[in-house]
Order: sequence, then structure tokens, then C-alpha cells
Amino acid sequence: MADEFAKGLGLLTGAGLIWMVLAGWYKTPSFAGSQLTGAPPSDLSMLGEAALILLESMFWLAIFGALLFWVGVPLGRELYAKVNSE
Amino acid sequence: MADDEHTDDAARTDGTGIVPPDDETPTWRERKERTTGLSRLTYEYFERSRREDQDLREESDYVERDVLAFPVWPHELIRNLALTSFFVGMIFFLASTLPPHLGAPANPSQTPSIILPDWYLYWSFGLLKLGPLNPDLAILGGEKLMADRTYGVVANLVVVGFIAIVPFLNKGSARRPVEQPFWASVGVMGVVFAFTISVYSMKTHVPLDSHLLLDLTFLVPPIAGAIAYAVLKTMREGYMYDLNRRYYKLRPPK
Repeated sequence: MADEFAKGLGLLTGAGLIWMVLAGWYKTPSFAGSQLTGAPPSDLSMLGEAALILLESMFWLAIFGALLFWVGVPLGRELYAKVNSE
Repeated sequence: MADDEHTDDAARTDGTGIVPPDDETPTWRERKERTTGLSRLTYEYFERSRREDQDLREESDYVERDVLAFPVWPHELIRNLALTSFFVGMIFFLASTLPPHLGAPANPSQTPSIILPDWYLYWSFGLLKLGPLNPDLAILGGEKLMADRTYGVVANLVVVGFIAIVPFLNKGSARRPVEQPFWASVGVMGVVFAFTISVYSMKTHVPLDSHLLLDLTFLVPPIAGAIAYAVLKTMREGYMYDLNRRYYKLRPPK
């Protein structure tokens, strides 16, 4: 159980850190306006486009990674045990 | 064994192995019906299993050394270095990837539009805004006993005073909220009140009628506390079940 918690927490914090840095670079137009959620600039190089894709994927990895290990895996184990015991 | 006939004696400390079920071992029904003193019961469970471990250790031929702690070098220092390196590295990483914003210098001749203390003082700032609760007394001809700002300071004293006396009301023998649902719900109420009074402190920025917001500030914490109490009360049976299962694994019922 503790292992699953650590894996979920690791994904949440690790992917969340990468997301936060990239969102600070690409989705924060100014300090006063919206931070981490603003609109990315339109004239991006190929590197910038790739970074945007990485940004989005890290955001969803943080959420679904934690959900997978905190909810999905324990639920699967419970169901497996229930099916096996019947 | 002759020992089993004298069950009123003190616990055996001669290391004679796992304690068999004796007259003091409660039955399933007795354990099930016992709902008070749950923290004490939990303590007894863990204390018994700890003693059984101790007995087993004493029976075995494993040689225990008199180790009071781990030496500072290398154990503690390596661990502390790892932790320190992580946090220092994190500071460098964040400072280099997300350098802080340097704003324009403050203008001392102009009042800012938002006046708020640091976030961790919002609760105290909210207590200073409790003027609507300051009663006008008929005996004083509708005058208030004290100014609204004095009232806010007194509210701070009341809250800090309550937090100060909580350890004297409850010693905190419970290790888990489920063992003492009432005090756990008091804690939930306090945490939620800290949040709602913080929201109330920025009432001019909250898109709600300020009277409604004041009502919610004092209504939401008891509701949250009641929900926590109900949930924890409901969880107690499952908690008892788990404890019993663990207990009877070691010590089958008669």
C-alpha cells in the first residue's frame, strides 16, 4: 500500500514540477495577469511546440498517474481478490 | 500450566511465550459491544503484541546488543546530507528555471487597492472585521460596550484562549481520529473555521453578500464538524472489526 502511495505521490509531484516550470515559461504572459494558465504565444519555434505538448502531457500525467496508483491499483486489487475468493 | 489458573496475577515477565487465551480474554461479543475507551483498547492491543514480540525475542538465540541509537557518522549524516542536497538542489532549480518577478518600487504616497496581510494572518484579520457581531446594548441606549476594533482584538484573544485550553480539556491519548470522533470533529471545526474566517477577511473581494458571508463563516464549521463526527462514528465499527481480526489472528477465541 505504501509503495503505491509513494509511486502516485512521485508522479504527482515530479510531473507537477515539470508542468509548473514549463507553464511558467510558456503560459505566463506577465506577472500581473493569469499565471500558469495564460494563453501561450502564437509564434513558437518547433522546440516551443514540443514543449507545449510536453506541458500538457505532464499535467495529465500528474493527475491520472496519482489517480491510477491511489485509486485504480487498489481498486483492481480489491476486485481481483473478490473475484478470486468467489 | 499452573499459571493459567491464576489469571489475576500481574503480566508474566519471564518470557514464557505467546499468552494463551485465558479468563481475561474477552469473547467476540464482549469486544463487539465495547465502544468506549477505544483508544485504551487500541493501546492494549498493541502493547500485548509488542510484549509477545519481546517474549519471542527473548526466547530466541538472537544476541541483542545494547544499541541506544545509530551513530551520527555515517548513518545520520549521510541521510541528512541526502535530504539537504535535495532541498538545496530544489532551491537552485526553481531559482534558475522560474526566477522571481521584480516589480516596480512601492509608491509610499498611494494606498494600494488591496490591503491584506500575509495569507497566514488572514484568520486574525477576519476576526478584526467582526463588527456586525458587536451587540448594541439597550441598557446603554443602543450604544456599544466597546468599539468595533476593540471587539475584534477581544475576538482574537477568545480564539487564541480556546486553542490554549484545548490540551487541558483533552489530553490527546487517541492516536487516530476514529478513536475519538468528538475531538476529531472539534479539530475539523477549528480548521474549517480558520478557512472560513480567512475568506471573510477578504469579504470585499468575495462575490457574495457580506451578511450571507458572515452567516456562512459561522455556519459552515459546525456543519463540517457534524459531518466529520458522523463519518468517524460510522467508521468505528470497521476499525473495531480490523482490530479484532488482527487480535484473533494471534489469539484465537475460545
